[in-house]
Amino acid sequence: MDRMACLDLPAFPLQLLLRQHPEWRGHPVAVVDSDQPRGIVLWVNASARAARILSGMSFAAALSLSGDLRAAPVPKTQIDRAVVAVSRRLREHSPHVEPSAEEPGVFWLDASGLEPLYGSLDAWAAGIETDLSAIGLSAVVVVGFRRFATYALAKSGGGVRVLREAGEEQGALQDVPLERLAIAPGTRDALAKLGVHDLGAFLRLPSEGIRRRYGKAAFDLHRMASGELNLPLQPERPGPPVTAHLILDRPETDVDRLMYLIETRLPPLLEALAGRGQVLEELRLLFRFERLGEHKERIRPAAPTLDVRQVLELIRLRLSATRLPDGVEELHLLTRAVNPEQRQLELLAARPRRDLEAANRALARVRAAFGEQSVVRARLRSGHLPENSFAWEPLSRLESARPRTRLQRRLVRRLYRRPIPLPPRPRHEPDGWMLHGLEQGPVVRVWGPYVIAGGWWVRALHREYHFAETRKGELLWVFYDRVRRGWFVHGRVE
Amino acid sequence: MKAAFSDLQRGLEPSRTPVSWGLASFRGRFAEISGGEATAALTLTMGLVAEAQQCEEPVAWVTGRDSSFYPPDVAAVGIDLSALVVVWAQGALEAARAADLLLRSGAFGFVVLDLGSDDDLPLAAQTRLAALAKKHETALLCLTRKGRERPSLGSLISLRAEATRTERAPPLFRCETLILKDKRQGPGRTYAELCYGPDGLS
Repeated sequence: MDRMACLDLPAFPLQLLLRQHPEWRGHPVAVVDSDQPRGIVLWVNASARAARILSGMSFAAALSLSGDLRAAPVPKTQIDRAVVAVSRRLREHSPHVEPSAEEPGVFWLDASGLEPLYGSLDAWAAGIETDLSAIGLSAVVVVGFRRFATYALAKSGGGVRVLREAGEEQGALQDVPLERLAIAPGTRDALAKLGVHDLGAFLRLPSEGIRRRYGKAAFDLHRMASGELNLPLQPERPGPPVTAHLILDRPETDVDRLMYLIETRLPPLLEALAGRGQVLEELRLLFRFERLGEHKERIRPAAPTLDVRQVLELIRLRLSATRLPDGVEELHLLTRAVNPEQRQLELLAARPRRDLEAANRALARVRAAFGEQSVVRARLRSGHLPENSFAWEPLSRLESARPRTRLQRRLVRRLYRRPIPLPPRPRHEPDGWMLHGLEQGPVVRVWGPYVIAGGWWVRALHREYHFAETRKGELLWVFYDRVRRGWFVHGRVE
Repeated sequence: MKAAFSDLQRGLEPSRTPVSWGLASFRGRFAEISGGEATAALTLTMGLVAEAQQCEEPVAWVTGRDSSFYPPDVAAVGIDLSALVVVWAQGALEAARAADLLLRSGAFGFVVLDLGSDDDLPLAAQTRLAALAKKHETALLCLTRKGRERPSLGSLISLRAEATRTERAPPLFRCETLILKDKRQGPGRTYAELCYGPDGLS
């Protein structure tokens, strides 16, 4: 008998939002349809629900219930992109994957014939759950026999569940609450007045009567729940990737000649993507060198595009930044494509003074010229040490700034990436502490110490931080490391 | 003829209109803020970054890998760190190349080149950057570490200011800028603001 699995990523847009802002975990968080007081709350996390914030409320009402609420809209394009990424990942677990067209975050997978490969379907399903949790998504996986049954059970439970027999699946279906399914609220409330709250009670009602009283949607739900209507799996059939492969007659060491070859091969690739109704998201360049073996380069335009000139400019920037260390024998061009975004409505929208798309294209050029890690942004973290209180993360896409109202002007410190060791302090200092050389004069004032200690479970740490002002006015942020028994400059107030 | 001559004379006189310290003074210009020991260049520049973000102007900060601003301090003044682009560059020349790519797009309202002591920018690069800043109405600001006695980056610098911490009235610090060179308004103006110290300094 064919086996099928349903995978549900509960409150998928909320999960995407939390993945984007991990520092929001532990706070009330909501997904809203627009970042305005009249915006509607669409999804909320447990902390927000505890503050009595419910979906359907206005953003202003939700904020009045909790001032700590963090909320942001999740655009449809971002959700669609995430669905494509998850589908691609799931295809490593099953050859046939069908993402739900109606409900983003729901997927069906073909589980037939996988048992001998993985030992058991439990191991296979647990592997999927673990794989998705590695990219910050929590999933519910139900392995069963019918499309609707696995979907309903995934919506009503958590974790991984494998049903052994079709009868067991039908039995488990009886207890699924109707409110967990995508059923019209009017129909759900009307059925509740009859005392029908779960699928078991719903199935006991006559199907013809349901069609007449509640319409086709409820009738179809009844037929699917009873097994009368069972749609087969309709997996996506992604076409083979669009690629080009060149074997060169003699090893090429000249970047310009190599660029010429790429220039001739790239337009047909982009035309092939256009023929499929897709746009280029990423281009991978694989060079096989004569002696050094394989080398890969990734070129990512600021936004998915079919603009040959833009892609060629990025390749040129990348190749001109590095010299070819060896002769290239083979060259592969591999495209990664996505469906284009629908953007016609933007013509009517008010345009800001600066074009963020152009900014992102410029950042893509900087990345191409100086490397993928050259464009970053800071993210605050709850680390103990100053250097752990933030992290530099790659900036893939620049969005509009949302600065807070500036309440207080404050001095800003410069932080040295590696603390600079200072010479040991002599026991007798007739002229005072010459912290930063004779030119700066002695230290005239010290604030501190502010002790940071801990880390005994890995590497003991004890730092005593001070602000030290020299006679010339330099204000240094120094610490005494008790473990290493030395003074270090960690930064300066500028 | 006489009227035109008087206009010409007026044009040579320094403006008496008081100009406040803000992003508007830097738009379309190639500027430099320097400071020696008791500098406040970073603090005052961050004030301009906050203002740029309030005006919905994308901001880019080009800097070396050895040191950077301390992000918790920057967040404390209200700047949205997630929208503050930081570009790592090795040396002044690479910083100028990165700034060139950013300015050419016309999408940034404020670009800061945090050069420190390594401020040897070739004249050709300065010419290109100054022209791009003017064309796209972008404020291009170089942060350098030097005293007022040392010359500016070059003749193409349109505005040069020295930022200093002048005195302290606990818990506040007085930060002052002195305009050393201004091709539009003339030098000599000053601007001061009071700032709190970071946590632990008051």
